[in-house]
Amino acid sequence: MHLDRGFWTATAVIVLLGIVAIFWWIYAPIQSIMPEAVDRARQIDLLYRFLAASGTALLVAVIGYILYFVFRFRKRPTHSPDDIGLQIHDNHKLEFWWTLIPAMYIVVLAAISVNLFFQIEPVNAQGNTLVIEALGHQWYYTFRYPGINGEVKEMHLPLGQPITLHVSSYDVIHSFWVPEMRLKADMVPGLINTLVFTPTRPGKYELLCTEFCGTLHGDMRSGTPNDPAYIYIDPPGKYKAWYDATQRANAHMSNAIAVASAGAVSLTGGDAAAGKSLFQTKCSACHALGPFTQKIVGPGLKGVLHDPAHPNLVNGDKATPDDVAKILQNGFNGPMGTMPNQTANGLTDKDIANLVAFLNSLK
Amino acid sequence: MAVASVTQAGIVGRHHEEPDQLYVETRELRVQGFLLFMVSDLVLFSSFIFAYLYLRNTGQGWPPPGAPKLDLALASINSVILFGSGATMHFALENWKHRNFTKFANWIIATIILGAMFLSGQIVEYAKISATWGGSGIFGAGFFTLTGMHGFHVFCGIIYLTVLLLQALQGKYTFQKYTGLTLGTLYWHFVDVIWVVLFSIFYLY
Amino acid sequence: MAVAAVHSGGIADHIHPEPESFLRKYVFSIDHKIIGIQYIVTCGIFMMLAGALAELIRVQLMRANGGFMTPDTYNAVFTMHGSTMVWFVIIPLLTGGFGNLIFPVQIGARDVAFPWLNMVSYWIFPVAGLMLYSSFLMGAPVAGWTEYPPMSLQGGAGTSMWCAAVFLMGIGSTLTGINFLVTILKMRAPGMTFTRMPLFVWGQFVTAPLLMIATTALGAALAALFVQREFGVPFFDPTKGGSPLLWQHMFWFYSHPAVYIMILPAFGMISEIFPTFARKPIFGYKMIAFSSCAIAILGFMVWAHHMFTSGMAPTLELPFMVLTMLIAIPTGVKIFSWTTTLFGGILEFTTPMLYSIGFLILFTIGGVTGVFLAAVPFDLHAHGTYFIVAHFHYVIAGGSLMGALAALYFWYPKMTGRMMNESWGKWSFWLYMIGMNGTFLPMHWLGLWGMPRRYAVYDPQFQTWNQIESWFSFVMTASILLTIFNAIWSIKYGKKSGANPWRARTLEWQIPSPMPYYNFKHVPSVFAAPYDFAEPLPYRGLEEELTDSPPPVPAAH
Repeated sequence: MHLDRGFWTATAVIVLLGIVAIFWWIYAPIQSIMPEAVDRARQIDLLYRFLAASGTALLVAVIGYILYFVFRFRKRPTHSPDDIGLQIHDNHKLEFWWTLIPAMYIVVLAAISVNLFFQIEPVNAQGNTLVIEALGHQWYYTFRYPGINGEVKEMHLPLGQPITLHVSSYDVIHSFWVPEMRLKADMVPGLINTLVFTPTRPGKYELLCTEFCGTLHGDMRSGTPNDPAYIYIDPPGKYKAWYDATQRANAHMSNAIAVASAGAVSLTGGDAAAGKSLFQTKCSACHALGPFTQKIVGPGLKGVLHDPAHPNLVNGDKATPDDVAKILQNGFNGPMGTMPNQTANGLTDKDIANLVAFLNSLK
Repeated sequence: MAVASVTQAGIVGRHHEEPDQLYVETRELRVQGFLLFMVSDLVLFSSFIFAYLYLRNTGQGWPPPGAPKLDLALASINSVILFGSGATMHFALENWKHRNFTKFANWIIATIILGAMFLSGQIVEYAKISATWGGSGIFGAGFFTLTGMHGFHVFCGIIYLTVLLLQALQGKYTFQKYTGLTLGTLYWHFVDVIWVVLFSIFYLY
Repeated sequence: MAVAAVHSGGIADHIHPEPESFLRKYVFSIDHKIIGIQYIVTCGIFMMLAGALAELIRVQLMRANGGFMTPDTYNAVFTMHGSTMVWFVIIPLLTGGFGNLIFPVQIGARDVAFPWLNMVSYWIFPVAGLMLYSSFLMGAPVAGWTEYPPMSLQGGAGTSMWCAAVFLMGIGSTLTGINFLVTILKMRAPGMTFTRMPLFVWGQFVTAPLLMIATTALGAALAALFVQREFGVPFFDPTKGGSPLLWQHMFWFYSHPAVYIMILPAFGMISEIFPTFARKPIFGYKMIAFSSCAIAILGFMVWAHHMFTSGMAPTLELPFMVLTMLIAIPTGVKIFSWTTTLFGGILEFTTPMLYSIGFLILFTIGGVTGVFLAAVPFDLHAHGTYFIVAHFHYVIAGGSLMGALAALYFWYPKMTGRMMNESWGKWSFWLYMIGMNGTFLPMHWLGLWGMPRRYAVYDPQFQTWNQIESWFSFVMTASILLTIFNAIWSIKYGKKSGANPWRARTLEWQIPSPMPYYNFKHVPSVFAAPYDFAEPLPYRGLEEELTDSPPPVPAAH
């Protein structure tokens, strides 16, 4: 292999440009273009800087050598038509290193990414996390908060408070993306996807749909006529003011459970076995016997009475057997539709008692 | 009389003719191409089997409301019939290789009959659960699609074997050159193998 | 006969009689070369349709608040642009088109294993294309070429027609895959071991199993969507127990190998062009061949990297992330090998060589952004934005399509006996480089700054860059139009090429241009790989190919 001075000069230039590229990415003012609004965003940006720096350095090297070879080895007028180039078929040492070094890079990249992945995935939400739901519609978003009846059209997040955000959809697949959060979750009807983060920067942010959802998909972003609302990260005082005002404003809305029922159903003597077979025939079309996130039409019900992680979205408090009985009696207006009431479902009071006993028996 | 002369011609045609090199090479191509076709057919079935198992394992309890109760006894008998037809097809080809035309014809006719019996059994099964066709939800999505596709493959196979029999009667195949019969046997065994999987996931799981 | 027959009585001596009628010669031909040209021409037509759709997109996007098309029209336009480009341009062009045209000759065969099936595979193509475009008349499909349910369960009958059209096209693809695989396994000339095969053949060889296996999986998904739409069978409807994610798994299990179907033949193309115009062997032949196999196999294991935000179980996402990153290694090996092929060469910058160098640069850029996207935490930000659009256009328009254009300029003489106009060719190259980069480079940062894909209207701050992209897209279109014009004009007015204008070493260049219906008067035997420019050609038995001696006699059967 004949590596002449020209080659080493080119290599030196490439290395220099590569170093410039790496430093450019280390110091690139990402935050001034795209602020980091949540805790995770900083780490994701670091990963991006690593990717961009190494990727750009690689491009500098590959494109640099291509351009150098194209210039250096171009056919000159002095070449005769029968001239041939260096008849090199391979070079095992070179091939070994250019396989090994990228492999090592990939291992490092994988390790960094897996590590970051586990930090941002919603494995175990904090004890004091605020659980909120975001729901996609064609072509706007609504949100549900614990303690606030009905749905709100504008999302406010308290600064510094860990958030667990469950997302789903009323109709087709949408997506929840706030660029400043660097986090995205598809809103899939029938599934509940979860994002866990802590807002760190107050301000007003745009929420954008990134999964094609129909005619006005391009308008499903903050500031449009059909979806005018933005996301607000508020300092605690401002958040509380918004929360209280909204709670008052929505107080008249019903989740059905808030409506006083005509005499509560007696739950004594409920037969869990009878409840189980009744569940199979009447409930399993819409409810799984799984965790909350295993949603068919309504949420999974395994943990409704016992799992501390089951969200307290119903009326802000932990669900009791009486709450469940009330829902069965009066029905419920949920995001995917309405759960029929007792009459529509053809449930006797005894049936309700049996179902509640069955759900109570699931631990 | 006409049938006898055709059969006679067929038997006379099956004399000891060495396959030439072109035939040998073409046969290799055809066999390999057919095997690859069966691989891609297998992918088709596998995709739907994946879909069925996926739907079964994510989401609601099983079986879903509206799902029919399947008749394991009927399906077991039907399976024995189908596997039996695989055996008869094997004997048919073996007898052909041993130059026994009459036994070949008998065994292949037996295969065709058993195949038709299997299809009838499937039709009976479908008729028994006809009330659930519309409302069986994802059970139906998996069951009817897969068994329907399989039944269609059995149906095509019956036609295929009948055509092979007629071609054999007309002397198209000799005792040395019978690639078409080999391919037909391969196809029939393929249909059997698919049924093993389907029977397991619908009736045994 | 001056040369003893190498092979007696077998397929190698089995020559079809020359077709007589116009119909048998040019319409219902079973000759792989004619079929290849039919594919290339048909792909050219669909390319113009899909390109026109692309320009409609770019005109719409010049204004942030749109107005050129209604949103529904826009949605149909990008859906049909993507569907056409993937299934009716790139895949058939690289496999049915250039694959058919060249590789059987390169392995010293007279045709593919199943010529009649080859003809059927071709004719499925225009029929399926007509079906696809008829969907405009019945409520066009609008949910992108990926047609995710439940969105794809809505809307007019056009989506069902889309299912049927793509399903039919898939049958042709599957048959082509089977045909090519059997041909390469069984019909190579004597002495042509796998390590003496040209790399273009390797490209087709690793692509054929993908065509055969992956396409059937797509067929299943399309059939399921069709029966759900038309008969209510609830595969994907969550209110009836189905799962939208099931579609994504079934669809991407095919569509990820599909992108390797789109690139592996192109890898083969430039692996022929670089040695020819550097006058030296391809560097690292064995590693290029082996890494193609690795990419084909790994390509089946990474599909869910298209679904990182969709709600899969987290533990399932990890293996997909790692396997996707692993694909970078064999790909990188190839890029370094091609670059090193330039080292020490005597580089002649013909149009095919220019396009190949462009491929090397642009595909590498696309590959690098692919590695970014493999990292799930980054993908959570970039998914569904213009960053993705940038990535795949760099690998497809900068990779696959540039490879196909290089192949067109390179192998045009074998199709027609003439050269394409070289100076127009160079113009098209530079227009393409400028146009393509100007269109797709800014999409990287637009995506990261908050512009989602499939938006008919968008936030005003992105308008300036969108206008720049649109202007550059017109330059790119001009390049394509110039190439197409060049290809048509040169049929009559191109300089006559002779058998081997590029002094290349693979077998197709050792027979006349255009290639005769029988390919070879005598099937040659092969005793080395074709890349050693210091040695004479590694074939025996080709003495009569370029002489006036009579064509071989059809088999007496």
